[in-house]
Amino acid sequence: MGIKRFHYARDVEEALSLLAAYEGRGALLAGGVDLARGLAPEVEGLIDVTTAGLAGISADGGGLRVGATTTLEAIRRSQEAQGYLGGFLAKVMGHVATLPLRNMATLGGAVVSAHPWADIPTALVALGAEAVWQNEELTEKASVEELYRRPFRAIFRRALLTEVRFPAWDGAFAFEKVARNAGDIALINCACGLGLDGEGKIAWARVAIGATPHRAKRLTAVEDFLTDEAPSEELWAEAAHKMKTEVEVGDDMRASAEWRRSAAAAIVRRALDRAAKGVTGDA
Amino acid sequence: MLKIYFELNGEPMYVEIKPGEMLLDLLRRLGMKSVKEGCRTGECGACTVLLDGKPVRSCLTFAAKIKGHRVTTLEGLGSPANPHPLQEAFLETGAVQCGFCTPGMILVAYDLLSRNPDPTPEEVREAITGNLCRCTGYVKIVEAVLLAAKRRREGVWR
Amino acid sequence: MKVVGKNVRKVDGIALVTGQPVFTLDVTPPGAVVGKILRSPHAHAEIVRIDTSKAEELPGVLCILHHGNVPRTPYTTAGQGWPEPSPYDSFLFDRKVRFVGDRVAAVAATSEEIADEALRLIEVEYRQLPAVLVPEEAIGPGAPVIHDEEESRGIHDPQHNVAAAIDIRVGDIERGFTESDVVVETTCEFPYVQHVPLESHCVVAYLDEEDRLVIRSATQVPFHVRRIVARALGVPLSRIRVIKPRIGGGFGTKQEIILEDVAAALALRTRRPVVMKYSRAEEFVAARTRHPMKIRIKLGAKRDGTIHAIEMDVLSNTGAYGTHSLTVLSNVGSKTLPLYNKAPHLWFHGKAVYTNLPVAGAYRGYGATQGYFALEVAVDELAEKLGMDPLKLRLANHIRAGETSPIFEKIGEGRAGKAQVVKSCALEECIREGAKRIGWKEKHGKKTSEGRWVHGVGMALSMQGSGITDIDMAAATIVMNEDGSFRLLVGATDLGTGSDTILAQIAAETLGVAVEAISVYSSDTDFTPFDTGAYASSTTYVSGGAVLRAAQEARRRILEVAAAILGEPPESLDLEEGHAVSRGTGKKVPLSEVGHRAMYVTDQRHIIATASFVAPESPPPFAAFFAEVAVDVETGVVRVVKFVAAADCGMPINPALAEGQLEGAIVQGIGHTLYEELLFSPRGRVRNPNLFDYRIPTAADVPDIEVVLIPSDEPTGPYGAKSIGEIGINGPAPAIANAIYDAIGVRLYRIPFTPERVLKALHGKSMG
Ligand SMILES: Cc1cc2nc3c(=O)[nH]c(=O)nc-3n(C[C@H](O)[C@H](O)[C@H](O)COP(=O)(O)OP(=O)(O)OC[C@H]3O[C@@H](n4cnc5c(N)ncnc54)[C@H](O)[C@@H]3O)c2cc1C
Ligand code: FES
Ligand code: FES
Repeated sequence: MGIKRFHYARDVEEALSLLAAYEGRGALLAGGVDLARGLAPEVEGLIDVTTAGLAGISADGGGLRVGATTTLEAIRRSQEAQGYLGGFLAKVMGHVATLPLRNMATLGGAVVSAHPWADIPTALVALGAEAVWQNEELTEKASVEELYRRPFRAIFRRALLTEVRFPAWDGAFAFEKVARNAGDIALINCACGLGLDGEGKIAWARVAIGATPHRAKRLTAVEDFLTDEAPSEELWAEAAHKMKTEVEVGDDMRASAEWRRSAAAAIVRRALDRAAKGVTGDA
Repeated sequence: MLKIYFELNGEPMYVEIKPGEMLLDLLRRLGMKSVKEGCRTGECGACTVLLDGKPVRSCLTFAAKIKGHRVTTLEGLGSPANPHPLQEAFLETGAVQCGFCTPGMILVAYDLLSRNPDPTPEEVREAITGNLCRCTGYVKIVEAVLLAAKRRREGVWR
Repeated sequence: MKVVGKNVRKVDGIALVTGQPVFTLDVTPPGAVVGKILRSPHAHAEIVRIDTSKAEELPGVLCILHHGNVPRTPYTTAGQGWPEPSPYDSFLFDRKVRFVGDRVAAVAATSEEIADEALRLIEVEYRQLPAVLVPEEAIGPGAPVIHDEEESRGIHDPQHNVAAAIDIRVGDIERGFTESDVVVETTCEFPYVQHVPLESHCVVAYLDEEDRLVIRSATQVPFHVRRIVARALGVPLSRIRVIKPRIGGGFGTKQEIILEDVAAALALRTRRPVVMKYSRAEEFVAARTRHPMKIRIKLGAKRDGTIHAIEMDVLSNTGAYGTHSLTVLSNVGSKTLPLYNKAPHLWFHGKAVYTNLPVAGAYRGYGATQGYFALEVAVDELAEKLGMDPLKLRLANHIRAGETSPIFEKIGEGRAGKAQVVKSCALEECIREGAKRIGWKEKHGKKTSEGRWVHGVGMALSMQGSGITDIDMAAATIVMNEDGSFRLLVGATDLGTGSDTILAQIAAETLGVAVEAISVYSSDTDFTPFDTGAYASSTTYVSGGAVLRAAQEARRRILEVAAAILGEPPESLDLEEGHAVSRGTGKKVPLSEVGHRAMYVTDQRHIIATASFVAPESPPPFAAFFAEVAVDVETGVVRVVKFVAAADCGMPINPALAEGQLEGAIVQGIGHTLYEELLFSPRGRVRNPNLFDYRIPTAADVPDIEVVLIPSDEPTGPYGAKSIGEIGINGPAPAIANAIYDAIGVRLYRIPFTPERVLKALHGKSMG
């Protein structure tokens, strides 16, 4: 009962072999923001992965690479993240929790915890971010969207997320969140992105919605609907309307499905509008 | 048991800790009673301390994590005989009611002013958003931070 | 005035801003053990069997208390004056549990981990009883009886779960409505909300070297703690000492004896110091809440806008125990109805009923908050129906100085009240000033939109009281040191409100010294005189009254000695800047000389004065509140853009502290209005007992708040002062509700105004 040992993992291999050795009674510890709030009773050994040298942010062509143990606040303030998609990702971090928690919480922790109500998964799914992880045998990667379709909790019982890669996009993204007050988690959130072709038509669209109260999902039907259309307020309204029928919403103690449906339409419309203005430099 | 070295308010420390001990409990055990417990789940901010100069929640930080790092609590900022200008500003503006949130509040304000010497009221509010105060309504806390910032710019600061 | 009316620094401030160990749990005696409480998983059940043998075998477990091994004495947890107007319906531990979280047993162990493990090892067999979670059902036919025990006393109608009831009539209400040209009727609902002090309930209990029980507690009512613990445990009052150190916020929840009794019992059994604290989850579930209420209100008015008849019908939910049930219920009417004193016909009636839910208790505003929500929303509707500006309607009807209301005499503290004429009232100026600052004329009724945000303004009035007439008593002692400094001993309880500072200011002003010359020692039942405690907005007025009297008496004695030194009659002397000064000759003598002479030289005596003060009446403070909101019509999100409060608290002794009381109360009120609410599962379990799910306002949520103090001179108050601690919380709910109506034309009658509720109301409107 209780934590018996604390390990400072010096590299990925050490973390993974310790994790394996504990046979389910060990836990990888990053910022600890989630782990310390709800430590499973069977956990005896903590394996600190923030000492494994994974933190760091670098520009990668037009994209971005973020080490798994990079804190959310470090992302928010980094030059590289500010330069990526007009600072979109950095701004999303500003919506997450509060400063002292962001100084602790890591991107890897956010991806692995994958709270359905969280904002980061929504942004990552919209961005087509790719997660890179390693277990004792191999290194794997998949888009975060794809990862969440797999049994990812089981995967991370024996693997370490090392990095998240953000692709380059020729266009702009916008994020929207409705919460009860500052520092609260979302009642609903969305991230939308758009790119235009030479004729000013929508070349690509990304629409992800989260806290529905389910984990972030893309609405590909809405994306398809938008593609090849000319941006306009009416188009956003139609897309939002379409979204109302596409989106899967549910009730929880924070909000009803009915409200979520209406609010989702409203914030998707706003996010599309802002993203479009971002593309044309109006915002 | 685990032995760790760290720096507490500028002083070297070598202490024995339990591997699952939280920093909040360690610091209070070491006599740093300014570090308060209001929730133990990261939301209230009463337990905020500076880790390598950055505000974090001591209630969610495993003590083992501070090995080799610098921890600052309110005790490290000033004393009744020699209060820090921020502490003075809190007193002068009436930013303290019960005072339970005050230690964490002053520490996040300290962090803000070391990054941003001339914050707007909005920036102050944003910086202290993670620290709850149920007494003051925050109005005078924001005033206090702005007053301290002004004094800092005028050079009255250590 | 040299000291009164100035923004003197808080006397306890330097300790607080430097984080000194001044709170209850900052100092624990050596050898202290941990106390923990086992709580009921059921909303309503009988304890058939409780087996503690396994837990007792655990090394480190010192003692386990439960209904089988403690005295069974009924008492109330309400920290009120004796005899408490709350039913004696609580026991240290009972055979029955009445809400999820009710006490079942308590453990003392050498560590927290062992205590937790011991709780897990206690075997309890429950026989579940039908539970009732809805007040209407609790008083309906066939409802389970929550308090069927024989020993309880003072319950209005236990068979029907009615803890308290009230029925007050003035004039002829039927006639009143018949004679009215316009009548409106609405029902407003106030949910379960919580105080959420940053420091949860905590206590240290130990036996001192003389075997007396010492209780260091975060309490608002040290003297009531002593009396009630004595009763609950059967210990002579003389054997108990209660000390209140600095406390981390109270707002009423620490006007309850909910931990001291258990800690004391454990300390007596184990003879070890016992430390206990509520976790945040326990604080949400097993501390106290505001009384949830449904209030039906009916207003009748003449065509000219004179309010002619008011009926208020209250259904208050007191939860599993009836603490403060009668007095909070009474206050719903007694603190609201006198505001519109032109109405000759009044009917105020209601019930406080038991349910198997968490226990409601005292909370800042104390019934007035719920009452004003209903009243001020209804007044807004009335104005609309009359086609009048709601501001003008209020101006035409509110009470003025020199006027009275029959309610003062009809409703008191759980009994009849006392007639009272309002002697100071600057409400009219408050309304005019507040209206100017919010821009009422320019904005009201002219909703403006910025994109999806639609703006509106609303207002509400409020009054409160200052202490409880003929009941609240405070005493103070002033002791002069030979160097001309003083010690001020008060039973008054500073819970962060700054009362130690205000009382020092009153003493300093009277004694002609700086605040620094006064050391305040407060709230220690062994060393300070009695005070009812910090509640009912009593401290500045009642405790301040006692300090003023004691200081005046000390002053008289000082002047006697000074007169002998200066060879002048005492009547010709004043106290100024640490000297006794002759008005005639200008001759003066420092207080240090007076002190030395009195103590050591001639005709020796110690200059000490003690005085008591009983609230002769309860002069109401007044306030006008104005809110500007922006409503996002697409999502239903409401933002408070600006909030103005103009308040008359008499002469503010320390304006910055008074403003702070208002600002803090307003922000709490905004939280309740927009998002705070305890939610329950169908079986009565609190679903959001944490700050993650139960949100309270953060700095970034606070609107532009303007607080204006409009002084009036209250002749019965110390230096003209009245109270300010509670009134601010009465404004936000009705002012914001009315502002939302101004913005989107939809009335909301139930707080919190979540995006969900706002949007639903909007859609309802567009469909209807
Ligand atoms: C009060 C509060 C408010 C919040 N508000 C928001 C919000 O507004 N929006 C939002 O999006 N999120 C929010 N979050 C979620 C927050 O972003 C995540 O909790 C945080 O990022 C987790 O990171 P961590 O480093 O602290 O994880 P930890 O607590 O250290 O770990 C979390 C889990 O992930 C595992 N893990 C961590 N790192 C790795 C890794 N590299 N590889 C494999 N497994 C790993 C751990 O074993 C553990 O199971 C909030 C959380 C809290 C507590
Ligand atoms: S105690 Fe750490 S945030 Fe509340
Ligand atoms: S002053 Fe009491 S919580 Fe901030």
